[in-house]
Amino acid sequence: MADPALELADVRYRYPTGPEALRGVTLAVRPGERVGLVGPNGAGKSTLLLALAGFVPAEGLIRVAGHTLARGTARDVRRHLGLVFQDPDDQLFMPRVADDIAFGPVTMGLPLEEVEVRVHEALHAVDLEGYEQRAPYHLSVGEKRRAALATVLAMRPQILALDEPSANLDPRGRRRLIGLLKCLESTLLVVGHDLDLILEVCERTVVLDAGRVAADGPSGDILSDRALLESHGLELPLCLAAHM
Amino acid sequence: MHHIMLDHFAGGKTPVHRLDPAAKTAATLAFILATVLVGRDRFLPLVPVAVALALYHAVGRTPLVYTLKRLLVVSPFALAVVVLFPVLEPGRAVWTLGLGPWTVGVTQEGLVRAGHLAAKFLLCAWATVLLAATTRFQDVLQGLARLRVPRAFVVQLAFMYRYLWVLMDEAMRMRMARAARDGRLGPWRVRFQSHAGLLGVLFLRTYGRAERIYWAMAARGFDGTLHAPVQSRMRVSDWIFVACAFAVGAAAIIWDTVFHG
Repeated sequence: MADPALELADVRYRYPTGPEALRGVTLAVRPGERVGLVGPNGAGKSTLLLALAGFVPAEGLIRVAGHTLARGTARDVRRHLGLVFQDPDDQLFMPRVADDIAFGPVTMGLPLEEVEVRVHEALHAVDLEGYEQRAPYHLSVGEKRRAALATVLAMRPQILALDEPSANLDPRGRRRLIGLLKCLESTLLVVGHDLDLILEVCERTVVLDAGRVAADGPSGDILSDRALLESHGLELPLCLAAHM
Repeated sequence: MHHIMLDHFAGGKTPVHRLDPAAKTAATLAFILATVLVGRDRFLPLVPVAVALALYHAVGRTPLVYTLKRLLVVSPFALAVVVLFPVLEPGRAVWTLGLGPWTVGVTQEGLVRAGHLAAKFLLCAWATVLLAATTRFQDVLQGLARLRVPRAFVVQLAFMYRYLWVLMDEAMRMRMARAARDGRLGPWRVRFQSHAGLLGVLFLRTYGRAERIYWAMAARGFDGTLHAPVQSRMRVSDWIFVACAFAVGAAAIIWDTVFHG
């Protein structure tokens, strides 16, 4: 079996001002696997994403694409981990969409021609061709989300980690995002409450509650287990609830 | 929410719009420098700059009302100084006003000085407004970067422009949420307290957002140094334009030194 794309062993973190957010998370994700990470509010899902990129100093082992996270290796880890934040206004910080997408490749030190190719590819992948010169502020929420995804795609990370990718999207925008995520070839970690999206996109689901992995298995099994979901403050995805 | 952006008319297709942003930025700096260098109380050397700006204005098809509105917006800064000069400058009094035990005298020298200052201010502001009207803000930034303005300064401006509207939206949403809960504003103390609270929350939110933006940057490899893909696109027409702008500036200064010593 190939080395895991993502490996976590006994990851713990306590916020300086609050309770323990992560209490020993152990998880391995195979290359190419699509994993949904679900759980109630405050379960530690977003904290786990921040810990993966080294933004919160968690204890335990975190290995991303073979790079162990330690003091001084955060940059290598981040190069392989494409993190898409919940609020696209945080992700899109440059005055122009093209500049924003170029930001990652430019900091990677790629030559200008290669940067241009990557910007074009990423915009094509998220169906935003022709948006190069647009100001992020003037995009719709759906467009902002896709542009935010493009900023990370341009870096061609091995693992994509998305925090609540469908929040605030209308049904059409959401449908488009699902289609887009299904086409991506990289390893995928989708955090969120949109269980229908996770059921459709991810073959595996991990339930996180109170900073621990509460359940881990095929999405079809986990997301159809009403008792399990309800005991962790979740409910059946709408598409399954209709049949049960 | 929708805001009128600074560069509302920057999408035009005139020859001025097509000029390289670095060329336009350099020209604007030349106009401003020449205007500032003209000696005190001299009006005639300012004429070349005014003529050049009028030409710039006409070719760029900038709406006159737009320019006047923008000038009006920035004028309070200069107005405070301009209105004080006629009273404070010593000289031949042309008009005196008795205010009880005090007399306020308006002097001819003061009026000339105020007029000269106002003219200089208007020319500088006009040059800046024209740059903003015919160049997209991000292009001005790129122009500044290519003119070797320190990168940290350019990036600061870029962030300001990117997040100003986001911040204004946030403040507006909070004000609406507050208004939705108190149809009639209470006594001034309560009102003041709610204003202060709103500002405090806005500050905290800005702080939180700054942290998240930093994370988003660091997640994409930001290590403290900013790189930018900058391409030079100066063409012959751009160089001619810059040369003309500097010639106008030089004409103003030469006029000033030769004819007025």
